[in-house]
Amino acid sequence: MSSPIMGRVVATEKKPNTAHEFHFWTSLDSPVGIGTIVRVDGERPVNGQLPRIYGIVVEGFSYTDLLSPIHDVLGHDGAPETAAQAATLRAEIRLYTAHVLRQIPDEPLQPVPMGTVALASDEDVAVALRMDTYLKAGTNTGIPCGLYRAGAMEAPIYLDAEFLMGPEAAHLNISGVSGLATKTSAVEWLLSSIFTHFPENKGSVAAVCFNVKGPDLLFLDKPGTLDDADHAIYDKLGVPAKPFERVRYFAPYTAQGFSINTLRSNEALSHNLSPLTWGLNEVMQFAEVLLNRDDVDAKADAFIDFLQERVINREFRDPVLSSPHRVRSFGELEQFFRDLLRGMEDRSSGEHWRTHHVATIRKVRNRLSNISTRCAGLVTDEGAVSDLPFGSFEDRTVYVVDVASVEEDAQDLIFARVVSKLREHLERRDLGVSHVIVFVDELNKYAPADGPDTYVRKMLLDISERGRYLGLVLFSAQQFRSQVHRRVPGNSGTSLYGRMDMDELATPGYAVLSPATRTKLATLEKGQLMVRHPHFAQPIFVRFPRPAVMRGRDGAEQFPPATDLAIDVAVMRSLRQLDSAVSLDWVKRTIAGHEEADVLRARNETLRTKPANVKSFFESRFRKIVPTEPVAVPVAVPIRALKGDDPYGF
Amino acid sequence: MLDAPSIRAADVIEDTQMRAHAVSGPLEPRFDAFLDGSQLTLVARWQGVIPIVFGTVSAAIRQRRERRLSTWGAPLVRRALYAPMSQLDRDVARVLNEMGVAVVDTLERREPDSGHPFALQELAYQAVLADRERVETELAVRWCERERGVLYLDGGISGSATVARAANVVGVIKSHQTLYAEGDALAVVSALTTGQRSSVVRIESSRRTSVASWYLRVADAAGRDPFWGLVRVEVALDDDRSALGRRADDVSRWILAERLPLALPDPRWDKMAYGIRDAEEYLRAVQ
Repeated sequence: MSSPIMGRVVATEKKPNTAHEFHFWTSLDSPVGIGTIVRVDGERPVNGQLPRIYGIVVEGFSYTDLLSPIHDVLGHDGAPETAAQAATLRAEIRLYTAHVLRQIPDEPLQPVPMGTVALASDEDVAVALRMDTYLKAGTNTGIPCGLYRAGAMEAPIYLDAEFLMGPEAAHLNISGVSGLATKTSAVEWLLSSIFTHFPENKGSVAAVCFNVKGPDLLFLDKPGTLDDADHAIYDKLGVPAKPFERVRYFAPYTAQGFSINTLRSNEALSHNLSPLTWGLNEVMQFAEVLLNRDDVDAKADAFIDFLQERVINREFRDPVLSSPHRVRSFGELEQFFRDLLRGMEDRSSGEHWRTHHVATIRKVRNRLSNISTRCAGLVTDEGAVSDLPFGSFEDRTVYVVDVASVEEDAQDLIFARVVSKLREHLERRDLGVSHVIVFVDELNKYAPADGPDTYVRKMLLDISERGRYLGLVLFSAQQFRSQVHRRVPGNSGTSLYGRMDMDELATPGYAVLSPATRTKLATLEKGQLMVRHPHFAQPIFVRFPRPAVMRGRDGAEQFPPATDLAIDVAVMRSLRQLDSAVSLDWVKRTIAGHEEADVLRARNETLRTKPANVKSFFESRFRKIVPTEPVAVPVAVPIRALKGDDPYGF
Repeated sequence: MLDAPSIRAADVIEDTQMRAHAVSGPLEPRFDAFLDGSQLTLVARWQGVIPIVFGTVSAAIRQRRERRLSTWGAPLVRRALYAPMSQLDRDVARVLNEMGVAVVDTLERREPDSGHPFALQELAYQAVLADRERVETELAVRWCERERGVLYLDGGISGSATVARAANVVGVIKSHQTLYAEGDALAVVSALTTGQRSSVVRIESSRRTSVASWYLRVADAAGRDPFWGLVRVEVALDDDRSALGRRADDVSRWILAERLPLALPDPRWDKMAYGIRDAEEYLRAVQ
């Protein structure tokens, strides 16, 4: 149905219309505002066709027939309160400037002609944003991202999966001030929408989300609070208003090693929480992430390469060593170093071993041994591994890696290794799903515009530039886009903007937006976004519902994290994931008398092996403790019995 | 194009002689609509030394609803060629008549003062002015026939008997080329202060309908010429003379209430009501 006319195109010599911009006026009570999409119907045919132009309002002006404000002051004798007494209200205009979204016909591309202006209808919005090209039945690749509202009209806005998830374009970047939960909420909502509407013919999709602060992403499987307005948006966009059905959480252990280092440590939520622990093999490949470039020079680098190629994971013999070494863990690596350095000292073999200077060997030993200390809880000395299920990722599943409470080095290592593994598996097509969305918040920390060229930043740049061919899609978020390496958001096909800081909006990256659009961005309500997408000629504003998942803050209140657990409780909770019959008493009895390190090793081996009989496997991990027997103390017989109680016999 | 300044006698019908009356009471905007006319002239062609003038006359009523103005009915816009037809070549006259545009013979109504080309041009301008008054009157008559609301008419009302006798039309004249007071009476008029009116006089003319009229000072003239902020008001004559003063006070209050908003930036803002400025702007856009 065609919308009623609510304005007319107007052009003057001072404000002419162009092929990309036009002006129109409306009545004072028209529902037009910044971001409103309008339709212009031309009055003269071009090549036999009446031109139709779609535009989005980017600026608004209001003025009266006064030439100078002083005239109004004079008119009211300087008394503003007399304005209400004016017999007539001055003639007033609402003049708007709109940027062209689309012209039909496309050719010849002419300045916007005079014509009538109407609010765009649902169909008009689809045409204006070129959504008609990807919403066709049978080849529909639309992913709902929100509702466009103008007056009483609401139109669904769709992103093209081909341009959001690859291969045409990919990646999404979202900017917005912190504290409004817009960025996280928008991503959670979009993931729901993608999981619901991702076209079947494009394959499967999973998401890996890095929880970098607080409990933001830790309750994705719990229902949140929605109001009627939210439900209406979910209904309109065809997305079920329910939490994610399949979510798995991963987090390293605390440095102590007893419990998992996450705010989602409530026992009621432990069923889908797994530890994230790596050993030497997992870490060495990414040692570069943890080693300071200034510290590890070419010589140290060469020695690390030597260790990786010749020592680790194979039997290594050398005359300097007291015995052959097979290094599979940081503990065994330390034994290797100790043996090597002692051997060099004992044999007085000089300062070099296999061309490597002893100082270099000592430096590398120091740096590598340090890793398990710096990344305690994630990296284990004994080599226990508990990892994401690379190779068996499941469709429509969210994998949350909680790094919020982890040291910065460990965060970098986790990030680098997980993404690299995803990439490796996607290249081999054996990840388990064909597309993975990686969500990274605080991008300004991982890929800053300035600062050192870190491994993590290089990897993010690589994903953003080449990931779309693999199905590796980066959803990134940050508070200040201007502080992020420009190639990351630059390669994002889709950009979302929540409420922005005025200082940020004053940076050159936002110069393409009109002052009114920037002002609107600075005052956006929660639940509103500005969207840029390859199909949209201009950014548009949409509303999205609250995500149907529990807010992190609510989750933390409803499921308070477990306080410092005793080792027996921590072990019980871990083993109960495998066998609900495990009791605290049984654990206490089993670990009584054993060292903490042995208990944790036994637990880790049990969790990694997932044996059929958990109890017996766990028990078998301990060395038998032979109970001590009381020693018979011989009773001394006095030589002579004493009289009375005088020991001196007086 | 203005008439020559003149003074005409007028009978004072409210008092025995001209005096000032303070308009008291709350100011009350009672006008429902504002009527104004406009004309546009240009010499379309010189046929030798004879000017052929193209004129556009228009009139519009801007009706006030909830303090906003919008156009009442349709504006009257007429276009015509004005030329001394008998002085044109026969072929040129024939071409003008066949152009499909109204042609007005300027010699039909009045003889030129001389054969000077500018005198002919002035004659054409006077003819355009007469047509403007005609469309204004026509529109005012329509208003009187269809509406009961009070009409503020920019100019005199005596040109039409219907309008001149209508109780719901008030004419407000800003120009004082013709004064209806002389001697002591003129001194009283020129000394009126803001919010004062003169006694009511009867204005009679052989070609026009008699009306009641008075002067009203709507803006402080201190430091300016004596006609600054001075308007002359015309309303229908009332047989009840005792009611004249009350009627003059009421209408004066209505006019004074139109001082807000000022008609700035129009240079005649001292005398002009904002509704009239709005009508002029409207006509400028449509004619």
